[in-house]
Order: sequence, then C-alpha cells, then structure tokens
Amino acid sequence: MASMPSQQMARLPVAVFLAWLIPGAGHLFLGHRARGLIFLVTITLTFWTGVAVGGVRGTVDPQERGLWFLAQVCNGGNALSGLLLHKMVQPPPVAPAVEQAAHRLGRASASARATYAGHWLGLDVAVHYTGVAGLLNLLVIFDVILRAERANLVREETPAPVS
Amino acid sequence: MMLATMFKDALYLASPQRLLLILPLCLAVAVVYKTTRCADVKQVPMAALILWVTIVIGMYAVGVGLWLMYLLLA
Repeated sequence: MASMPSQQMARLPVAVFLAWLIPGAGHLFLGHRARGLIFLVTITLTFWTGVAVGGVRGTVDPQERGLWFLAQVCNGGNALSGLLLHKMVQPPPVAPAVEQAAHRLGRASASARATYAGHWLGLDVAVHYTGVAGLLNLLVIFDVILRAERANLVREETPAPVS
Repeated sequence: MMLATMFKDALYLASPQRLLLILPLCLAVAVVYKTTRCADVKQVPMAALILWVTIVIGMYAVGVGLWLMYLLLA
C-alpha cells in the first residue's frame, strides 16, 4: 500500500466506494468486466429476493434488527434503497380488534397460529437473504482491494520499455 | 394478490418452502465465493456447482443429524 504510486492510490478508494455502492462496480472500474457483472447480478438478485419475500416493512429495519442492518448496509446502494422504501411505506393502522386478537394469540386457533408463524418464517428468511447479500458484498470489497494491489505489483515488476 | 404483497409485507411460507429457499441462497454464496477465488472466470460455473452441492448436502446432513438428536433426547 505504502509503495503505491499516487495514481493507483487515487483509484483504490474510488473502486472501494463503487464496490460498496453497487455490487461489482468496483471490479468493473478496475477492468474486471466478467467478475463485476457476476457480482452485480448475484448479489443484487439475492438482496431483492429477500426484500420480495419479507417485504420492506420488516426486512430492512435498523431499529428492530440493528445487527442484521449492519450486515445489510455493506450492500450500500441496495440497503439504502431498502431503507428509503421502509421509511416510505407506512405500517397499516392497527384496529383495536386486531390488537386484542394479537394479545390473545396464545389462545388463538391452530390455523391462526400457523398463519402468524408462516409470515414470521418469511420475514426470517428475508433477513437472512439480505444480511448474507451484504456480507457477500463485503467479501467483494476485500477482493477489489486485493486485485488493485496485485495489479499494482505486476506493474511495478514489469520493466519499463527501453527507448 | 401475491405480487401486490411482495416487496411490501412478508409472504406466507410453510416449513417445506423455507427448506427449499436455502438452495438459491447457497448458490449465491457459492457463485460469489468461487468468482473471487478462481483465476479464470471460465472455471467459475463448475467450481460453484461443486461447492453448491457440497454446502447443500452438508447443511441438510447437519439438519437431519440435529433432528435425529432431538428425537432421541425428546
């Protein structure tokens, strides 16, 4: 890192920022087109599959799931879009009858409990999908740093053409 | 109805559906990991497929093992 030329030093933070903001964009910026596209498609699809299953109301929620949100936010642009949608979509007003029913959930019928558990499972799966997508993007960010350093080492070892 | 619910509220998932949803997640992990590790991108599909099958078999084996342990202890 210390021996990096100034041009490379300037490129690295840009590549890391792009990799955080859009999965694969750091690789595309460094010229690894195929890898960048694979990361872009795979990670973005994983994140939004999670949001589709769990819904924006509960999946990206920094107040209810702080640690999971830390993992999700490694996915930069996707996580911020999810958070924005979470803030835009207001929860439906809870009718007093529904509140009372939720209070009596322990005495609810087996089918009502199964429905409640089914939705809870969906949210659980969604949080795992989005969290894992964020952690995968963290791996991709580290890969950007390694590839930028490796490219710099190759350039340093290549002898300059004799004129 | 389902499309209107997607992206807004959590979908209803039964237990078998939840078990199947592990497959695409493991595939994503295998593809991203192997794309970072393989020197040539052409090696990624086969390497990711092998890793995906290994993860899925391993995780289901652990699940079955824990379930059997639960049955024995219960």
